[in-house]
Amino acid sequence: MKQFWARMLPGDRVVVLSLLLVAVGLILLQLGRAPGRTVVAEVDGKVVFTAPLASDRQVSLPGPLGTTELQIAQGQARIIASPCPNKVCIRMGAVSDRGELLACVPNRLLVRIEGGDDHEESSYDLLSR
Amino acid sequence: MTSSVADPPTLPQARRKVFLALFTALAIALHTFEFLLPSPTPWFRLGMANILTLVALFLFDGRAAWTLALTRIGVGSLVLGQLLSPGFFLSLAGGVTATALMTLFHRLFPRRLGPIGISTLGAFGHALGQMTLAWWLLVRHPGIWNLFPYLLLAALLTGVLNGLAADLLLGMLRRHRAFAEERAGAELN
Repeated sequence: MKQFWARMLPGDRVVVLSLLLVAVGLILLQLGRAPGRTVVAEVDGKVVFTAPLASDRQVSLPGPLGTTELQIAQGQARIIASPCPNKVCIRMGAVSDRGELLACVPNRLLVRIEGGDDHEESSYDLLSR
Repeated sequence: MTSSVADPPTLPQARRKVFLALFTALAIALHTFEFLLPSPTPWFRLGMANILTLVALFLFDGRAAWTLALTRIGVGSLVLGQLLSPGFFLSLAGGVTATALMTLFHRLFPRRLGPIGISTLGAFGHALGQMTLAWWLLVRHPGIWNLFPYLLLAALLTGVLNGLAADLLLGMLRRHRAFAEERAGAELN
């Protein structure tokens, strides 16, 4: 072990330690993310659907282009069918963490994952639009 | 490095060619051998072939390292029958990023970074190159980057170990008779 340490130049130690810090930092960052509790779907900025992430279901959300199929399964939400031309929303895959989004811009649909009952999002006294 | 029959190569040139060929052959053998080992994930490889790239870099120069790395990836994939398959492109992206980082840092800090540091940077480059290509080509989803820190930790471990192996091998080679003469020449200058 001592011999191993001696084989490293000071620059080597800097490289190994800094990359180790980056890796550990990234892992901590990942573990710090909180899983979400509820799925909120908005069309044109109006909430049209809310459901807990824990219950499996599939809903049809009507938008200007047609209906987008949103699936909630195994604690994850994903869009499985959409009338939009690019299907970006389908390719966004599944979301499950607080603050994550699924968006179908052509169909004006926005699916958000929220934390649920701890009211951190509604801490304002008043919100006027 | 072209040569013709008209001008016979000097002894150091010939020595360089022979040793580079030997290193390349050994790298291909390691590349192939590693494919046979069971791996926890398709991403995780020991990267032992990189030991030879490091040796070429430290014993000769960056050019030798590039020659070795690219030949190893090309011929190695040919041997494994995965030439031009997704695995080949992942391997190529990793190898090119790794070699680029290693030659760059070896040139920037020739005295401060030894084989272990350069090897670690190479392993990091390999992980980064593979991940970027995998994300770009195969899985267009940012979730793939969740894997990256773990891949990076594995790369650090294998990078340090390969660097150590390269350091030991370099020590042996520099004591070898074929290189003793060059060392004597360098000491005279």
